Amino acid sequence: MARYGMALDYKNCINCKACETACKEENGILMGADKHRIWVGTGEIEGQYPLLDISSNAFYPSQCQQCDEAPCEAVCPTQATYYDENGVVRVNPDQCILCSYCMNACPYDARYVEERGMTIDKCNFCSDTRLARGETTTACQNTCPTKVRIFGDLDDPNSEISEVLRTREHYSLKAHLGTKPKLFYLT
Amino acid sequence: MLMEVEISRRKFLQGTVAMSVVGATALSTTNLLSNDHGGHGKSVKAGAVSFHNTKTGQGEGHDVATLCEMCVNKCAALARVENGVVTKLNPNPMFPKSKNMLCARGNAGIQALYDPDRLKYPMIRIGEKGEGKFKRVTWDEAYAAILDGTDKFPGLSKILEEEEDNRSSMLFCAGEGMAEHTFKQFYQAFGSANWLNHASICLQTVASGYGVTLGSYPQADLDNAEYIIMAGANRAEAIVTPDTMDAFKRTKGRGAKMICIDPRFTNTAAKADKWLAIKPGTDLALVLALTYVTLTEELEDKVYIEKFFNGYNEYRESVISNKYTPEWAEPITGISAKDIYEMARDFAAHAPKSVYYPGRRSTFAKNDFQLRRAMAIFQAMHGAIDCKGGLIFGGKLALKPHEGLAPLYEMAQARAVVKRTDKEGHQGYDDCAVVSGGGSWIGWRNRFLEDKMPYKVRGMFCYKHNPMMNMPNTQKTAEMLRKMDLVVTIDTMPSDTVMYADVVLPECTYLERTDPVKTFGGVEPSIAVRNKVIDPMFESKPVMDILKGLTTKISKPLFEISKEYDEEIQDLIEEDGEEETYAEFDLTLPFLHSQEELNHHAVSGYEGAAEKLHHDGVFYPKQDEYFKQISANEHQYYPENKKSYSVRGGKPVTPSGKVECVIASFAKKGIDPMPMWRDEYEFSVPEGKFKLLTGRHAQFTQSGSANNAMLNDLMPENFVWINKRVAAEKGIKFADMIEVSSSIGSTKLKAYPTEKIAPDQVFFIHGFGEESEALTWAYKNGGNDNAIIEDTIEPVYGAAAMHETNVSIKKV
Repeated sequence: MARYGMALDYKNCINCKACETACKEENGILMGADKHRIWVGTGEIEGQYPLLDISSNAFYPSQCQQCDEAPCEAVCPTQATYYDENGVVRVNPDQCILCSYCMNACPYDARYVEERGMTIDKCNFCSDTRLARGETTTACQNTCPTKVRIFGDLDDPNSEISEVLRTREHYSLKAHLGTKPKLFYLT
Repeated sequence: MLMEVEISRRKFLQGTVAMSVVGATALSTTNLLSNDHGGHGKSVKAGAVSFHNTKTGQGEGHDVATLCEMCVNKCAALARVENGVVTKLNPNPMFPKSKNMLCARGNAGIQALYDPDRLKYPMIRIGEKGEGKFKRVTWDEAYAAILDGTDKFPGLSKILEEEEDNRSSMLFCAGEGMAEHTFKQFYQAFGSANWLNHASICLQTVASGYGVTLGSYPQADLDNAEYIIMAGANRAEAIVTPDTMDAFKRTKGRGAKMICIDPRFTNTAAKADKWLAIKPGTDLALVLALTYVTLTEELEDKVYIEKFFNGYNEYRESVISNKYTPEWAEPITGISAKDIYEMARDFAAHAPKSVYYPGRRSTFAKNDFQLRRAMAIFQAMHGAIDCKGGLIFGGKLALKPHEGLAPLYEMAQARAVVKRTDKEGHQGYDDCAVVSGGGSWIGWRNRFLEDKMPYKVRGMFCYKHNPMMNMPNTQKTAEMLRKMDLVVTIDTMPSDTVMYADVVLPECTYLERTDPVKTFGGVEPSIAVRNKVIDPMFESKPVMDILKGLTTKISKPLFEISKEYDEEIQDLIEEDGEEETYAEFDLTLPFLHSQEELNHHAVSGYEGAAEKLHHDGVFYPKQDEYFKQISANEHQYYPENKKSYSVRGGKPVTPSGKVECVIASFAKKGIDPMPMWRDEYEFSVPEGKFKLLTGRHAQFTQSGSANNAMLNDLMPENFVWINKRVAAEKGIKFADMIEVSSSIGSTKLKAYPTEKIAPDQVFFIHGFGEESEALTWAYKNGGNDNAIIEDTIEPVYGAAAMHETNVSIKKV
């Protein structure tokens, strides 16, 4: 039993896509640009050459926000989306009927159609791969060249993530929606 | 205040050039592992072969410590193996060089292993040269074809007989890699003088520029630098390197200030504190102006200069009397004088924790060698050499050498270069002023095509090298390959070059072989090894085994030819008998021992190293004591007081122990003895044309990774960057097909209108647009830069200067 969360030192991100590739290899994600459990959002550059706004082109690593009040879980008519014992929002492909309510409900655009398993898939913190084997990092955290991610148990006061969240400023995405994400962006 | 950002998948899809989706469907494992790849290289139709990606299992697996070969960096990886199948590549945290990272390409290495297009068995050509029609043969038949030829091509026996045992009638060329060493032993044992590798199409001028100035091509301590000028080095994208990742954790007000100088707005620019757009090829003017400010405002480290500089006053006098002022440099570079003053002052204020990043790229402008010299001198003027936060020489752990075989054949001619005589009208080696070990690839190729060789070169052995894609002017390379009587390629993939082969020998991938153990110098030196993860698939073999088989076949018969023509060998036989004489020319000698045995010997000076390398992939003395996990992401390799920041007290590694500002001997060869600006270096583009820029990418290395299914998924094709306003004027929209043409050819790819590039320049990524139909994903997936880059030769080392081509663009 744990309550897993992730802190993202997003300013480190260079948009190299190591995390996306590691995620695909680890979790057997189908090919295709719209089939990513995780991705890096980029802003279109503002200004005219050579007077460009550096900050407009920042990189935002993103994935399922693992909400404590997940809209996707609330709208799922078949309980295919559920919380596991570690607070991770999971999907049971056997119960998913591809109604796509969850896709529309998710304010973070974190869900996509997984055509091989016929399910609406999303990031599950490598719960059925790495964590199931007893490993303590996700594939994206482990591989990252600039070490953007810190994954761990929010309920354990001694965990690295708890320590980081106590000592560094951070924010959540769309906090006003009340979804209570367990992903935290470090400033 | 909490910042809100919109992060959406759809936004991602709109904002990236990687828009199209690869139509990949599942491919069963049985199909993947089967041999029914057809009898020739053209059997694979796009779409017929696809790709399957499985998730890792929850059960048993074991890790093998290996080193990545998806690019040149050799990051340490742990390969997870489940039931004999490699299911995941993870970073190996034990290696100080790569510090627990594996980039996108490193992760995608599995797809290099399980690429359905891989070369699976030996083949010999049955069609026309370049047609890509081969038949499958056994290894012995392939070796026999190399020796004796077929009805389509002559073998070594015929060539060496006709060339009267001139071993130099065969060219040997190889791409970068840990096993390049193994192949080079074959070249040396064979007795040819013609060797070409990636140097002259890679970092020859930067390595040499720093080499002659500081005596070493140093590393940068970006962990501790406080001020970094990152000029012409796109470290966030171009071959994501472990040595520069640290810097990106410290920019944006977090300990290091980074100034990115690049004609394009790159990901490095996005991560820098300031981006300055520079006109291509004018960096030398910038560095000279920075030097001018340093000198006139007396910002230099006088103590260091007094102790460790040669020719300082002469250089100082030149920079000042030539008035290389920031105001002078402003119109040349496009960077304001104000920014140049600020940079020079900031650099000095933070020195010695300041780095003008040396760079690791190909030669772009003809003045690149002088640029690197000027950079090295500017860095050294601040005493920021061999010290924490500056450029470092680092420590290195010695390996025991092993014996090779390098016999001299009397009839073997020297390298196919006519020595420069400086006589008017005399045909000399005028490609470049300095000839170094790597040679000049395009210089050599062009002389071969122009029949300016001092003797006939008739064939080539090509290992892990793709000349068709890797050097400017693809058409000339194709002509060269067609003109060669015998082309033998050793590769993992049916590349464009392999299509021109007479004999194709399939090497296994890096995950299927153990390579020569390597020592990695730096602040935290170590030794690392690439251990075999799984047995070679299909009939592929490590290059070591391939050469063992080949030399066993050809050694004796070729010796018979030498006996005919080589009088020294005849004399030796008379004196010592044939058996004893042959022992000195036995080509099989370098390949008698297994790679594992050779590695064991190489590290036998360190107790327990061989076992440690086998298990962990990495070794350095006191590793068990020093190595500690600090957090899930961070590790300690050496305690701070044991790191090799300074190993020579700042003393350069040149023979004189000084920084060489002036190299008088260069003047005799027509090279400026110290860095100077020449008017012909100025950037200019004819009206209506564009300067073509090329470069690398974080998801592709070169053409070598072009067919990787996973990487193609991230970026299925390259796009040509065109300034947005120019595109609008020309009615060019995103993804419109564009023909880009130069004086030597044209290529087609889709448009990416963007403000990240200047109106008089266009850019696209290197390594795309292969013509080999045997490559499912790489076949014609965008434009090939080398089809249009003119073969401009850099004058000092003969490197290919890749940003000297003007092009026109047309919507088609």
